[in-house]
Amino acid sequence: MTTWPFDTVLIANRGEIALRILRSVQAQGLRAVVVHHALDRLSPAVAQADQAIELRGSAPVAAYLDGDAILDAALASRAGAIHPGYGFLSENAAFARKVQAAGIRFIGPSPEAIDLMGDKVRARAFVAQAGFPVAPSAIEDDDPSSFSERALQVGFPLLIKPAAGGGGKGMRIVRQAEQLAGEIERARSEAQRYFGDGRLYVERYIENPRHIEVQVLGDDTGQVVHLFERECSVQRRFQKIVEESPSPALDAATRDRICSVAAGIARRAGYRNAGTVEFIFGQGEFYFLEMNTRLQVEHPVTEQITGIDLVREQLRIAAGEPLGYTQDDVRVSGHAIEYRIYAEDPARGYTPTTGPVLSLRAPGGEGIRVDLGIVQGQDISAAFDPMLAKLIVSGRDRQQALERADAALAQFVLLGCRTNIDFLRRLSRHPVFVAGDIHTGFLDAHPEVAADVSPSPATLRRLLGAAALQTRPLRDAAEAIPALHAAIGGWRN
Amino acid sequence: MRHAFEIDATPHEVWLGRESGEYILHLDNERLPVSLNLDDQGHGSLRIDGETVPITLARRGDDCFIHLDGSTWQLRYRDPLERASALAHGSHDDDIRAPMPGTTISVRVAPGDAVLKGATLLVMESMKLETAIIAPRDAVVVSVRVAVGQAFERDALLVEFDERPAAQPTATPT
Repeated sequence: MTTWPFDTVLIANRGEIALRILRSVQAQGLRAVVVHHALDRLSPAVAQADQAIELRGSAPVAAYLDGDAILDAALASRAGAIHPGYGFLSENAAFARKVQAAGIRFIGPSPEAIDLMGDKVRARAFVAQAGFPVAPSAIEDDDPSSFSERALQVGFPLLIKPAAGGGGKGMRIVRQAEQLAGEIERARSEAQRYFGDGRLYVERYIENPRHIEVQVLGDDTGQVVHLFERECSVQRRFQKIVEESPSPALDAATRDRICSVAAGIARRAGYRNAGTVEFIFGQGEFYFLEMNTRLQVEHPVTEQITGIDLVREQLRIAAGEPLGYTQDDVRVSGHAIEYRIYAEDPARGYTPTTGPVLSLRAPGGEGIRVDLGIVQGQDISAAFDPMLAKLIVSGRDRQQALERADAALAQFVLLGCRTNIDFLRRLSRHPVFVAGDIHTGFLDAHPEVAADVSPSPATLRRLLGAAALQTRPLRDAAEAIPALHAAIGGWRN
Repeated sequence: MRHAFEIDATPHEVWLGRESGEYILHLDNERLPVSLNLDDQGHGSLRIDGETVPITLARRGDDCFIHLDGSTWQLRYRDPLERASALAHGSHDDDIRAPMPGTTISVRVAPGDAVLKGATLLVMESMKLETAIIAPRDAVVVSVRVAVGQAFERDALLVEFDERPAAQPTATPT
């Protein structure tokens, strides 16, 4: 049994992840405090929190980025630890330092580790120096005046990335030299606005690679284990849509190599708490991409196949407990796949959608987990990230997981705001996806997956029948006809 | 005049009648008895042409959202008079509308500007990504309807063009 050095944990996040963290916090017998913006007043995390504190006076996203207000809330609620979730302040070293200075535990790595891995350029240099593989690149900071020329030398296609970035924001693929200057300008503007730092670097873009990442955990004693890989190759706009573990692409030897490299990088960085090392994988080779110093959106697939509650591990590590197990004790069983439910329209370039949640019913049953951040009656606004929920299916093997996913996606009801649920079902049934033959360009190569589907004749009849009965002018017209019948007598249509 | 529902902008004409106590759905060349049994949450069953299927339905204004046969659909009721009027006026390619909800980052044109096809009219931001709104044809800008920093919903009018000259060739090289 853990003896907790804190009895209250403040959750500085929103949506599904706030609720998911809250569950593990309360399961340990700890109090969960949730901070929230007024727009999230009805959210399930707020409803289930032991204490909810509204962040006042800020725009919706700014509220969750207001470190001082959140720290004040932590002090006022006597929280001994803060869990930042993902996004927002989760990779903000200055915030982590402030939290520590206030005598509160930051549930995550040390500020130094966040600094090292948060600066993508420094992280790459660190990893390369330690002897691990990285892709060819040009770094603006090395000599800003020659950046464009050096970028040209990396060769096309290339990828422009913000030095301070992550999560696919501000990234641009450039295929032709004449586009380079314009795309650098646009990437810099985005980087400046989202990270307050316009510095860039470019990297050779590997066509049709796989995105494979490895979950790691480290404790205060310096012990690091990996929890195997996640395949996250199905993406749009550099953001993941479907993740699974194990990866269908890795043989045992490659899996062992990539997982060992990830654990090695974390060990070399003196990494504590949960983190993820991301790799680009193609033609049997893999390169270090970046390390995310936080819990990932897709962490549930790892939990489903290892049986390890990652948030509980984060809490234990933050409490100063040793892991208490070794690499050999970490075993995987079965297969798990996560589908991200987004408020977006795949047929229109995956653009975000808005609207009220008029009806909501999530699937359940064996092998089905739904991490949900919304409730019926809530308005989906463009103010926040469009991810609404995650469906995680598991089975004894990939085929069983896919079968369960198909049934679960068909049963998932969310009406009032267009979502990508039907798209996810088409994707999950696509023969190339079923074969596991995926890469990060999969959706671009198969645009039919995102296209609108017309209803079958049978479905169309049903839709029109139901809609007609629920539409007042049609009902009124129908009601008027019997009167007409009576008037002319014996008339038949 | 027939009623219609649009699914992904495709109109489908319907008529509902009533005979001996039941509703009859009239489609192009079919007449199908139909009944709907929903609880207060919109879950229930639809019986049509002798078959019964589970259904969830929610309404909002002219929109009818339906979950049926493992998929979700949105049907928009089109008033017969409005439809007739829209058909008479043709499409509105003089209006540049927002492809998604977002915020204006910068405006590159002003009323009176002549722009060439492909020119950037304004830059918007949505979901942390910048998107340039591009002129779909050569035109003169009549009005700009958004200011920098302004938030808008999908389909909001952003920029208004002059009317397309009737004689303009359609095969513009791209």
